[in-house]
Amino acid sequence: MENEEGHDHDPSEITRYEPSGIDERHGAVPAWLTAVYVALVIWMVYYLIRFWTDKG
Amino acid sequence: MSAPAVAPEDRDDLVDREVVLRFLLSAAFWLVFAPTIGVILSIKFNYYDFLGDIRWLTWGRLRPVHVMGVVFGAFSTAILGLTYYMVPRLCGVRMYREEWSRFVLWFWNIGLTAALISLPLGYNLGIEAGEFPIWANVLIELALILVTIQVLGTIFRRREPRIYVTLWYLTAAYIWTVFNYAFGHFILPYSMPGINNAAMHGLYIHYIVGLWITPAGLAVIYYFLPLSARRPLYSHKLSLIGFWSLAFFYPFVGTHHYIYSPIPYWTQTIAIVASMMLIIPVWTVIQNFYGTMVGNWKRFQESYTAKFLVVGAFYYLLGCFQGSTEALRGVQRLTHFTDFVIAHSHLTVFGTFILWVTAGMYFVIPRLSGHELYSRRLAQWHYWLTVAGFSVMAVVLTVQGLIQGTMLQVGADFVDSMAAMKPYWLARTLAGVTMDIGAMVGMWNLYMTVVRGRRIEAPANAPVGTVAEPQWT
Repeated sequence: MENEEGHDHDPSEITRYEPSGIDERHGAVPAWLTAVYVALVIWMVYYLIRFWTDKG
Repeated sequence: MSAPAVAPEDRDDLVDREVVLRFLLSAAFWLVFAPTIGVILSIKFNYYDFLGDIRWLTWGRLRPVHVMGVVFGAFSTAILGLTYYMVPRLCGVRMYREEWSRFVLWFWNIGLTAALISLPLGYNLGIEAGEFPIWANVLIELALILVTIQVLGTIFRRREPRIYVTLWYLTAAYIWTVFNYAFGHFILPYSMPGINNAAMHGLYIHYIVGLWITPAGLAVIYYFLPLSARRPLYSHKLSLIGFWSLAFFYPFVGTHHYIYSPIPYWTQTIAIVASMMLIIPVWTVIQNFYGTMVGNWKRFQESYTAKFLVVGAFYYLLGCFQGSTEALRGVQRLTHFTDFVIAHSHLTVFGTFILWVTAGMYFVIPRLSGHELYSRRLAQWHYWLTVAGFSVMAVVLTVQGLIQGTMLQVGADFVDSMAAMKPYWLARTLAGVTMDIGAMVGMWNLYMTVVRGRRIEAPANAPVGTVAEPQWT
């Protein structure tokens, strides 16, 4: 993802939402969480195909 | 004790203090009232004829008062108050059509009061989580439409160019709920007979949970956690993933209430898959919350806002994992019609979302009243009675459900499975009483903060142009 100047975001880059005083890092997705996403998507495809109809 | 903190400037001048405080104090009333009804109901499990000879205090009439009182009274009233606090501060402008806020306050509370009085009198539309009678629904729907227009209007006129994640969740929650509330209260009770009504009811009831309570609750923690932790939010990227995965998967979840029903098998399969896929938004936002706390866990000791948010996030993880897995056919076979389901609903609605709005109240009430928290000791009691009582209740209900399910699966008599529950029901009542006392203490403390709290004073060496922050919040 690119920032307003067209450069890639640094994960540690901090944005300040001025009126509320909230700061926010651009951040990154941890590897363990990416692995969870991939595993769940694979399981979803399997489950939908296997259990689309009642095979008794 | 930490030194009093100062904030760079006071943006509370954008907020209609009176409206927010009135909303939050009425939420404080509902936060005591609705759980108390739950305690009365739980006593009926132990003494089945308790209040049974008074028609309007029977189980069937009080149960919706408890459920709807928690969802629309305690939780939603607090959300409305916090909306009027968060939205102007996030947008840098006062609320659009600010004068409407008072109509919303009165429509909402009068509608709610009329509804919660009507239910024990026997006026009930007969749709679970959609029981409110028509005259109350008109007022509540009107309040929802007005506040939705106000939120959208404020966002369109904002000075802050970026839209923080709290605003995404709030906008989505209000737009979804304006339609869903009308669907559940004006369409569903009067149309679609038979199994189609059940299928649509599954969607409606889970839209209340997933498209109102969840996004509105997440809006609250995303707003108050970085402020109370005094740390930047861990990841904007995770906020995006959490929001869009919730918006994508939640609409398909509802039918998981009707697994093994005559609703088409593939529809049930989609609901099961969507329920499991909700692990993505849940684990994503949990990573975001705990990542935000890393590096400043000291605030967990100092701030009651941080305490309630972090503990609520822990219950959120447990409750949502329970909810996802109980949709699986094998787990559903064991747990359906047992207290396992009640454990899940309490872990999410009370353990998570009520605690998060409570955290928001601890943050906002001292700031807007200009008073320090009335009593740190009472706040401490509130916190520990809530955590102790609720942890016991969550464990007891979960264990109950698993025992009931196992007994029924091995062919035990239904009455025997109920008789085996007696000690657990007693523990549940005692846990409920503990939580309820905690809520009374906490809400009294917040009320006294407004009427008797000591004025917040800036430290002597505070730089010019800064404002003092209340302690312990």
